[in-house]
Amino acid sequence: MVFSLFKKSKAKRSLKESGLGISRKYNLLPGRCYVVEESPPDVSFDAFTNLINTPDAGAKKTVGLAVTRQHPELVRQKYGLENTPIYWLATRTGEEIIAPTNLGILTHTMVKFIDEHPNGVILLDGLEYLISNNDFNKVLRIIDQVSDHISQSSSRLILPVDPRAFEQRELALLERNMEKIQIHKPAQ
Amino acid sequence: MVKILVVDDSEAFRKVMIELLVKVGFHDVTEASNFEEGVQMFRQERPQFTFVDMILPGKSGVELTKELLAIDPETTVIAMSSIINKTMIRQSLDAGAKDFLLKPTNAIALSSVLTMWSD
Repeated sequence: MVFSLFKKSKAKRSLKESGLGISRKYNLLPGRCYVVEESPPDVSFDAFTNLINTPDAGAKKTVGLAVTRQHPELVRQKYGLENTPIYWLATRTGEEIIAPTNLGILTHTMVKFIDEHPNGVILLDGLEYLISNNDFNKVLRIIDQVSDHISQSSSRLILPVDPRAFEQRELALLERNMEKIQIHKPAQ
Repeated sequence: MVKILVVDDSEAFRKVMIELLVKVGFHDVTEASNFEEGVQMFRQERPQFTFVDMILPGKSGVELTKELLAIDPETTVIAMSSIINKTMIRQSLDAGAKDFLLKPTNAIALSSVLTMWSD
């Protein structure tokens, strides 16, 4: 009984952020997947938080789902995320943690989110970690599966990748159905 | 030519910002590292845009925003910070800042802000 009440209240929880009163800076089109070649994933997180904190052209709020290698509490603090679900890719047990080898749960989590929030945005940070724990082709298949769902919805996927961690052929396969967010890298 | 002032206590960040601004087509950029220098450079240069780090040594970015807008109510102030602190962002917007940029910023976000708030 207690469990079912908990499940119910959790299911009803709003995933919307309160908004910041700032402008939308990234024009990420519905039904598209975007890859960002960068490390650390600053532009990806900026685009993700900007989308979920600003209304779209129809004045609707966008809800987000983040899957990341970074600890969720640090992500919440840095990006001011109060209601957005954040899943931690880690070899630990617990709620809102996904083991890197559990690609089935990871795919299910993202596909379910797309089905429930057709105008949402998913940030998948930690692709390198997934590939270091799995065969590349297996990871590619889940990206393709999620990408297919995205293209049949109005959601978006943001996928940061560190190009140094991939062979040229792997990068080409990953990016073949995606649009690239081009970033200028200033000299540090 | 559009004049821009960047106020941030990090010299490295100012350098990156100036490089990005040049990349997106804005070449007339001056810089300052704190409240006092910011006010002095603002009076001297009268920029159309001022990017203000919300956390400055001494007086804060919110106080600087109020001061700059008291000098010239027509200027556009954009707040910046390396974290999204909703309270601080609201304080900046209430003080008159037009928008917010998360640091480290990039050419896409910077270009978008400048286009959005250009006359």
